[in-house]
Amino acid sequence: MYQDYAYLIVGLPILAFVLTIFLGWHLPKGGGFFTVLATFAGFILSFGIFNEIYPNDEIVHQSMHWFANFNAGILIDPLAIVMLLMVTFVCTMIHTYALGYMEGDPGMARYFAEAGLFTAAMLGLVFSDNLLQLFIFWELVGLCSYLLIGFWYRKPSAASAAKKAFLVTRVGDVMFLAGIVLLYTNMVKLNLTLPDGAYLLQFQTIYDSLTLIPPDQLTWIAVLLFGGAVGKSGQFPLHVWLPDAMEGPTTVSAMIHAATMVTAGVYLVARMFPLFYAAPNALMVVAYVGAFTALFAATMGLVMFDIKRVLAYSTVSQLGYMMAGLGIGAAMGAFSVGVSMFHLIGHSFFKALLFLCAGSVIHAVGTNDLREMGGVLKHMKWTGLTMLAGSLTLAGFPYTTGFFSKDEIIVTAYEHGAMGFGWLPYIFAIGAALLTAIYTFRLWFLVFDGEPRSDYHKHESPWIMLGPLVILAIFALFMGMPSQEGFYHYVGNNFDHFGVDFEELAVIGGHHVEHGAHISEPFIIKILPIIIGVGGIIVAALFYSRWKRFDPGMVTSERDPLRKILLKRYYQNEIYTLWFAEKVVYGIALLSNMIDLKIIDGTVNKISAISVGFGGTLRKLQTGVIQNYLTAIVLGLAVLLILIELASLGVAI
Amino acid sequence: MIPLVLYVLLASTMFTIGLYGLLTQRNGIKLMMCVEILLNSANINLVAFSAYLPNVNGQVFALFSIALAAAEAGVGFAILITLYRLYGTIELDNINALRW
Repeated sequence: MYQDYAYLIVGLPILAFVLTIFLGWHLPKGGGFFTVLATFAGFILSFGIFNEIYPNDEIVHQSMHWFANFNAGILIDPLAIVMLLMVTFVCTMIHTYALGYMEGDPGMARYFAEAGLFTAAMLGLVFSDNLLQLFIFWELVGLCSYLLIGFWYRKPSAASAAKKAFLVTRVGDVMFLAGIVLLYTNMVKLNLTLPDGAYLLQFQTIYDSLTLIPPDQLTWIAVLLFGGAVGKSGQFPLHVWLPDAMEGPTTVSAMIHAATMVTAGVYLVARMFPLFYAAPNALMVVAYVGAFTALFAATMGLVMFDIKRVLAYSTVSQLGYMMAGLGIGAAMGAFSVGVSMFHLIGHSFFKALLFLCAGSVIHAVGTNDLREMGGVLKHMKWTGLTMLAGSLTLAGFPYTTGFFSKDEIIVTAYEHGAMGFGWLPYIFAIGAALLTAIYTFRLWFLVFDGEPRSDYHKHESPWIMLGPLVILAIFALFMGMPSQEGFYHYVGNNFDHFGVDFEELAVIGGHHVEHGAHISEPFIIKILPIIIGVGGIIVAALFYSRWKRFDPGMVTSERDPLRKILLKRYYQNEIYTLWFAEKVVYGIALLSNMIDLKIIDGTVNKISAISVGFGGTLRKLQTGVIQNYLTAIVLGLAVLLILIELASLGVAI
Repeated sequence: MIPLVLYVLLASTMFTIGLYGLLTQRNGIKLMMCVEILLNSANINLVAFSAYLPNVNGQVFALFSIALAAAEAGVGFAILITLYRLYGTIELDNINALRW
């Protein structure tokens, strides 16, 4: 029943967007309740569909012809339904919270309109049944992120952050598009005879034809698609836009970092997992980039003083985990999709929670700087406790959601190493886990514990903001335990619905998977994530809490080069902006401009100058004196007559 | 009867004279006169052939042609008079306001 209305999941937020943007100005709270209601209705619909398809393990597929051999359609399989549930649920929470958070902002209507469109775009991306439609929504997500990051567009830093986000993700999008084109040309070359209702670039068709496409082409396609995911999901080296995206309202950060936008990249790789699986080199790239990003971003999260920036780097790091989780699928098969998606879902809950808590703190305290906070817990109990819940689960405290998901990724990374696919992902992942625990609790202690370090405002946020926090906190803490095993299998077996034969794909990829041959990890490996998580929390407590035994200054000093390099964020700004953007790109732009002006324009101008000069000379022939013309006519006639005469006399002319 | 060839010779002589005048002269009146000579040379031809063919069509044609020449001369002289009023000359070389 519900599945007949699946299109409304996207339709309602779009409707909310239209209503809010046109009528929002005249409504209380900028018409934000439209967006909240639409998203919530989407959640109800998704939940209804989930209840219909879960018991019998079905999928929903509706499609209609669009143009040529493309279609528009809805595909709700396990992978999509968990995303739909998560996005609609988390977005409902965030939008509700925003009703309180954005109170009094003159652009409230615009905010809720754009937020509604953002949600709609993400939902559309998730339930697309073909790659082209997915790409369209993908771009729409990019556009909305641009609009929302630059929401306070009068602030120069926000405007430039929005531009940065748009341009950096664009690099990825171009690669994504190139991947689609390459895939398309390869599929056209196959000359498939498509059955009725099947179209090119439909996921089913893509999965079916994977075995027919040459393996080297598959690798290229996979790498290009991953390039798109790198841009969208903020993986190294295109992660630079994500920390800057903090310039928007905190709710926007929560949306970008948790529910929408950044998860799109992970979702894309998960969606195309069979393709990656058939291209093990691409999969290895995914694993290494992901694991490296996890560690790399975590090191930077360690030293930031901006509360949102710490969380931003933690997002980058956790996304690295998800990518690594997919990448180690070379060893684990489709099971890794389940593992990675589980982390994605869990992460959405606790990262939305953390951002909303940070928003609540910023809302009350009026600053982003950790150095000016301290002791906030006394005044903001609910925020503090819910944020503690979020931090625990992010740090991987045993039996919280984050613990299950991250633990599983680390353990599978171990198996990836043990099966001879390389140890680096495991080492990076375990290192990042330690850092995650440390920076998370450094953040919590610096904000909520200790004595106030500045004279800030002290008041708890209104319940419209706290309500979502409490709900999200409950999910962040307790969602993992009951759903874990079921989730892995439900999502891990996603591709069985499409008849994807992973063993066959493994043969193309040139590797094979021993099914069920799980390597039994040593006990130490199993409990290592727990030790590391709890150890990290203790380390943070020893340095930053009221029970502090050490001073951070004992470990590092201002002049410490390592600390400096972290604070400078590995000189990314210098490399990307000052060197690459301002020297290389601007230089190339200048050179191109010169070539355009001097060579291309020059050629055209020269040609036109020659024509004009020639014409100027030639027009002198037209004297305007009739007699001259007449002379010419008479002479011409005379010559003609002579010739005719000669011809009639038989002279060969 | 005068042989036809003489008429034709007369006509071509007149035509050549007219053409020569048209190509070499710069005075508006002279040009008008040359044009008249050209037309009349054609008329002579028309009438001569008409008389030799026994067919009156040519003579009718010649009458039309003469009427036409009269009209043309009227318009032409009117233009020349206007030009003279404007420029004080009918030397066509000096009348070049629209020339490049």
